[in-house]
Order: sequence, then structure tokens, then C-alpha cells
Amino acid sequence: MTLRDLVLVRLGVAVNLVIGQIVAALLLPVYLDTVGTILVAALVGPRAAITAGLVSQVLSAVLSGNFAWLPFAVVQVVIALYASAAARLGLFRRLRTAVAAGLGLGLVAASCSAPISYFLFGGVTAGGVTLVTTVLRALGAPLGIAVASASYATDLLDKAIACGLVCIILRALPRTLAARFPALAR
Amino acid sequence: MIGYIAGRSPLHRAHPYTTLALAGAVLFAAFAMTEPATVWLLVLAGAALAATGGVLRSSVRTALVLSLPIWALLFVLYGLLGAAPRVALGPVSFSAPGIARALVLGGRVTAIVLGFLTALATTSPHRLVEAMTARGVPFGRTFLLASTLTVLPRMRERAARILEAQQCRGLRLGGSVLARVRALGPLALPLILGALAEVDEQVLALDVRGAAAGGPRTALDPPPDSRPQRALRWGLLLLVAAAYAWKFRRMRG
Repeated sequence: MTLRDLVLVRLGVAVNLVIGQIVAALLLPVYLDTVGTILVAALVGPRAAITAGLVSQVLSAVLSGNFAWLPFAVVQVVIALYASAAARLGLFRRLRTAVAAGLGLGLVAASCSAPISYFLFGGVTAGGVTLVTTVLRALGAPLGIAVASASYATDLLDKAIACGLVCIILRALPRTLAARFPALAR
Repeated sequence: MIGYIAGRSPLHRAHPYTTLALAGAVLFAAFAMTEPATVWLLVLAGAALAATGGVLRSSVRTALVLSLPIWALLFVLYGLLGAAPRVALGPVSFSAPGIARALVLGGRVTAIVLGFLTALATTSPHRLVEAMTARGVPFGRTFLLASTLTVLPRMRERAARILEAQQCRGLRLGGSVLARVRALGPLALPLILGALAEVDEQVLALDVRGAAAGGPRTALDPPPDSRPQRALRWGLLLLVAAAYAWKFRRMRG
């Protein structure tokens, strides 16, 4: 990895960890904690994006103190690979295709996170997702279905907004700045 | 939240890899345990580790704060909404197998959090970086772990400033979900574009410090390692492997 890639990975990690502050101010029912990973995937490529995702997961655990969610690092790797492929296909060039790619990413991410949540933590992870699971369970849904539904519902919205936001960022990049990222030109 | 607490306990003096190996062993062993009794033995092991490091009170307090919401959700999801047979406790009835499962899942989270909080409280970040450098870990990895933490407060401060500035310009943070999603752009764009514009400057700053130079780097003050500590780390690896072998044998049986 070059020094530039390293600095961009650090930026991606910082974005992943800080964007929650903006999301909390807007009281949005999403996390957007993968925006930095998706951005690095589009600007640099899969290797840097995987690094950004894994470092984000570790540092998020260090900062929150909750290390139990480290197994979800696998999801970060999958997101990085998917986002890199989507960027290579040029899906972040238009908002419409970016949101569609985000919905696809939501499906993929939920398909990875729901089994981890169900088998390792019995469906009880943190915050909003578990509340949705509990409501669905109280309505009579079997636990596996409740966990999967909650994961899909939250991830679809979260990743669609995240990919849409990355598309807006890439389109807003001044041409002189965009020219410095060869992956973007591809 | 908990951070490094200076001290002279055996864990503070140990090689950082040993402390991290102990926490890692708790993490992996927790997922191998499927009975409440064994999981709670692991919680006790985590508490013993914290006591050895002299950080029992702070670690347990933070672990409780972090795992209490999980416990509450577990008791609702498994205790109240769990399957029969049920046990009546006053006006409320609980699912007996649900409570057993909640004890396993909650104990798992508590043990992991306790183990890592102890490692965090007894491992000096400086010693960890020195240990990684001495072991020949590439500069990039140590840079990412150590340097990102120093960048975060600056980014947070910038995000807060942008939030205030945009509100002054009339940006409304409330309204419908769609309106709030639209407000994301004016808040996130200046933050991220501003950071992207600084990339070249930061690359240059790293370059003049020799970050791009290849070859091995010399640690100025590498923490001492010892044969017993290396043996302990291998022993922990074997212990975790044995726990999984036992788990899969029971699953087959």
C-alpha cells in the first residue's frame, strides 16, 4: 500500500467513526458506519477498503469498549469487496444506480450479519436492530425470521443511503482533486 | 469509557502480545462454551484477569454498563418471549430454557467485554506500537491503529463546527425522514471533501518523516518478552483449540 493509500484508509476509518455524530444530530434510524469503507473502495480499491473496514471495526470496539461485536468484521470485508466491484462497474456515477447498488449491498450485508447475529449472539446485538427483532418476536414471528427481517430492513435502508451519499461525494469532488485518484477514473 | 490506566501489575509488565492473547483467548473460548456454568466460569476468569491487572473495579463497572442493555433485551426476548416450559415468578412467567440460553448469551458478551477492557486498561499503546515495530510489523499497520485515534478528535470537532455553521445558515435538522436524509449532504460533504483536500499535505508530511522508506525499523524501547510468556501464548492457543474440539465432539454426540 502506498503512503497515499494509507492516508486515505485513515480518512475512511475516521469517516466511519465520526459520521455517527451527524446521523445522531439528524435523528436518522440508520448507522452509515460504512460510508468511509465504500468511499475508500471507490477511490482506491478493494485492498485498502478491506483494511479500512477491519481497522474501523477494531477501533470502534476500542472506543466503545464493546469488543463482543468483533465477529462482525467479516461483514466489513464483504462490504469492501462489493463496493469495489460496484465502483469498477461505474455504479457510483449516477445517484439512481448508486442507490440500487446500495440496496444490493444491503441484501448482501444482511445475509452475512444475520447468521452471525443469530448463531453467535442469539439475535441480540445492539440498539435499533434488536428492538425491531423483539417487536417482530412479540408479534409471533419465529426468532430466526425476526432476526433476519430486522437485519434486512435496517441494512437495506442504511446501505442505500450510504451508497447514495458516496455517489454525491464523488460527484462533488473538484476535477483537480478527482484526478488524483486513479481508481476513480476507471 | 475505559482507557489505559498506568500501573505496575503483572499484566502491565507483561509483553503486550501476552495481554492481548489472554483477551483473544476469552473471545474465542466464549463462542466455544454452550452451557451457562462454563460461560460463567469464563466470566470469573475475566474478572480474575482484571484483578491481576489491578483494574477489577473499573473493568467490572464498565463491563456492566456496556452489557446491561444486552441483558435487558435478552431477558425480554428469551425470558419473557421464550418457549415452554415456563416458570412463574410472582405475576410474571419466564421461559426456563429461554433463561438458560439468555445466561449463556449474556455471559458470553460480559466475558468478552471484561477480557478486552482489562487488556485495554493494562496495555500501554506506546508499548504495543514498540512491540509491533520490534516484531517487524509493517509501518502501515501500526500507523493506522495508532494515528487514526489521534485524528478522530479533530474530525469530531470539525463535524461539530460544520453542524453549527450550517444551522446558522438556516439548515433544519428536523422534519420528515426524507428531509433529514436530504440534510445529510450539506453536513457530510464539507467534512469529507475538506478531509480529502488535505490528503496530499498529510502524504508529504509522512514522506519527509521517512514513512515510505523500506527495510526494518528499529524500536527504541521494545518491551521484553520471555520464554514463559511465549509458552503461555502457545498454551492459550491450544486451550482454545481444545475448547472447540470439545464443543464439536459434544455436537456430534
